Amino acid sequence: MFIEQLFNGLVLGSIYSLIALGYTLVYGILMMINFAHSEVLMVGAFVGLAAYTLLAPPAGGWVALVLVLLVAMTASGLLGIVIEKLAYRPLRQAARLAPLISAIGVSIILSNAVFLWVSNQLLSFPKVVPEQSISLGFMKIGSLQILIFFTSLILMAVLHFMVQKTKMGKAMRACADDLTTSGLMGIDVNKVIAFTFLIGGALAGAAGVLNGMYYGSIKYNLGFLPGVKAFTAAVLGGIGNIAGAVLGGFLLGILEVMAAGYLPNGSQWKDVFAFVVLIGVLLIRPSGILGERIAEKI
Amino acid sequence: MYKLKSRLLLGLAMTLVSGCAQKSASVRVAVAVPLTGDIGTEGQGVRRAVELAIEEANQSGRFPYLVEVRAFDDRADPKEAVSVANLIVSDPNIVAVIGHYNSGCSIPASQVYARAGIPMISPASTNPKLTAQQLEEGWLGPRSIFRVVPTDDVQGTYAADFVTDKLKFKNFAVLHDKTPYGQGLAEQFRERFAKRGGQILAFEGIASGDRDFKALLTRLKSLNPQGVFFGGLYPECALLIRQAKEIGLPATFFSGDGSKTNELLKIAGPAAEGAYLSITGIPVEHLPSAKTFLEKYNQKYPGATVKPFDHFGYEATNIALDIISRVGPDRTKFIDELKKIRYQGILGTTEFDAKGDTKNKIITMTKVKNGEFAIVN
Repeated sequence: MFIEQLFNGLVLGSIYSLIALGYTLVYGILMMINFAHSEVLMVGAFVGLAAYTLLAPPAGGWVALVLVLLVAMTASGLLGIVIEKLAYRPLRQAARLAPLISAIGVSIILSNAVFLWVSNQLLSFPKVVPEQSISLGFMKIGSLQILIFFTSLILMAVLHFMVQKTKMGKAMRACADDLTTSGLMGIDVNKVIAFTFLIGGALAGAAGVLNGMYYGSIKYNLGFLPGVKAFTAAVLGGIGNIAGAVLGGFLLGILEVMAAGYLPNGSQWKDVFAFVVLIGVLLIRPSGILGERIAEKI
Repeated sequence: MYKLKSRLLLGLAMTLVSGCAQKSASVRVAVAVPLTGDIGTEGQGVRRAVELAIEEANQSGRFPYLVEVRAFDDRADPKEAVSVANLIVSDPNIVAVIGHYNSGCSIPASQVYARAGIPMISPASTNPKLTAQQLEEGWLGPRSIFRVVPTDDVQGTYAADFVTDKLKFKNFAVLHDKTPYGQGLAEQFRERFAKRGGQILAFEGIASGDRDFKALLTRLKSLNPQGVFFGGLYPECALLIRQAKEIGLPATFFSGDGSKTNELLKIAGPAAEGAYLSITGIPVEHLPSAKTFLEKYNQKYPGATVKPFDHFGYEATNIALDIISRVGPDRTKFIDELKKIRYQGILGTTEFDAKGDTKNKIITMTKVKNGEFAIVN
C-alpha cells in the first residue's frame, strides 16, 4: 500500500511541479508573484477541451494527445505573453505592490470571462488516450497516471535543457541574476521576460490539460486550488529556484497523499497538514528548502 | 416611512433580480435554487419546471391577476441562500417560496422565511432537520416549512435495507461530504446498516470541492469493503467512482439522489457501471401521471433534459397555485391551507404530516447499466 500511495503522491506532485515552475520562473526574473498563473492553467484546460472537440479524431489516441497538448500550450503561452505586456510591463518600474494587484485583477477578469462567456458548469473532459489498468503484481496502476507522470517529467526535462543549454536560457539566467546589468550588457530584457511568460504559460497549459484528463472534468474555477498548492510548492522548495519548484511540488503531493492515506479522517485534513509542514519548513529555512539567502544589497 | 422603505426595497429587489419591466402589481412565487455552479444545471431544471407550471396557470385563466415567477440564485452556498432569503422576504408581493435545493441552503434560509411568515416548499432538500427544526423550542415563526420529497432517514434506511436484503452485503465503507445533506444521509445509512448486522469498516468525511481522493481510496482498498456508500453530490461522487476504478478498488458504489444525474455518468464514464443510486420518489419518466408534464416540458424547452427534481418543483408550484386560487394571495391563509391539503398531482397524493413532510414516501433504487440508470426494485 505504501508504494501505491507514494505513486499517487508522485502523480499529484508532478502536476503541482509543472504549475510551480511557472511561478518560480517569473519570480526568479521579476521578483513578482504572477497570481494570474492559475487562470492561465484554467484557460489552457478549456482550450485543450475545445481543441479535442474540434480537431482531434473522436477516438482519441496519441496523435490527439500531442495535438491537444500543443494547442493548449501554445494558447496558454501566448496568453502569458499578452498578460505580461498589458498588465505587468507598464508597471515594471512601479512599486512592488502594483504588479501584484494587477495580477490579482487579471486573475479575476480571466475566471469571470470564462464563467460568463464560456460555461459556468462542470464540463466533462475526455481521457484522450484510452485507459488501461496495469498490474505490477503487488499493485495496480492506471495508464493515465503513468502518462501524466511521464508527460510532466518530459516537459521538465525540456525546460531544464532550454534553461541550461540554449542561448535564451543563458539570457534568462543572466536576467535572474541581475536584470539591470543584463540590460546594460545588451540582452533584450523585454524579449527574455516575454519568453519566460511564454514558457511558464505553456507549462501551465499542459498542466491544465493533464489536470482535466486526470479528474475528468473542468470548471471556470479549477485553477484556484492547484494554483494555491503550486504556489505553496514553489515557496516550499525556494521560490525563484527551478529545482526547488520541482522538489517542492513532489514533496507537497506526497505529503498530501500520505496525510490522506494514513491519518484517520485524513482526507479532510490533508490541506491543513500540507500547510503546517510549509510553515514548519519556513520557520527553519525562511527561503525554502533549496532557496538561497539573498545577500543584502547596499 | 415604512411604506417608502418597503417600496425602495421592492424596487431594489426587482432591479437586482430581474431588471425587466413590470406590468401591474401582481402575485409572485419565488423559486430559490442554485442557478450557477456545479449544481446549477439541477437548479435550472427546477426553475424551468416552476416557470412551466406558472405559465400554464396564467393561460388557464384561473387567476384574475398575473402570477409571476421570481428566480433567485443561491449558488448552492448557505451564505448566499440567506441573503437571497432576505431579498425574498422584502418583497411583499411574494406569497410563497419554492426552494431551496441543497439542505445546507434550505435550513438557514427557512429560518428567515419563518420569521417573515412566508411559506416555503422545498422540492429537493432531504435532510430531516429542515422540517424537524420547526418543532423545536425557540422557533421564531409559524410552522411554514414544507417539502414534497421524502427525507434522508427514509432514503438512507431504504438503501441499508436494500443492500442487506437484496445484495446480502456484509460490510461497507461510508463516506460523506460533511454537508447537512451528505453527512445526514450517510449517518442514516450507517445507523440502519449497523442495526441490521452489517459492519461499518470506515466512516469518513471528505472536503466538498476536493478533486483527489486516490489516497483515501487506496486506504479503503486495504480494508477491502464490499460496498462504498457516499453521502454527497455528483461532482465528488463521480470522481470517487472514477478514481476507485483507476486504483483498482473493487467495491460497489452506492449514493443517493444528489448524485443521480447524467453528469455523473459523463464524468465517471464506464467506471460508473454497476453503481447503485437511490432516488426519492419515482423517476419522472416512469410516472404515468407525469406524461403530460413531460410533453409540455419538452415542448416549452426543446433540447433541455429533465433533471431529477424538476417534477417535484412542478408539483410544489402547482400545490402553491392551487392554494392561491382558493384562498387568494395571503401568506397566513396559505400556510393554514397547506397544512390540511390533500393534493392529487403528478406525484400521486400529497399530504403533509405534522412536521411538514410529505406522506408520499417512495424511494426508487437505480443501477447504472450500459451508461444509463435502470430501475432495480
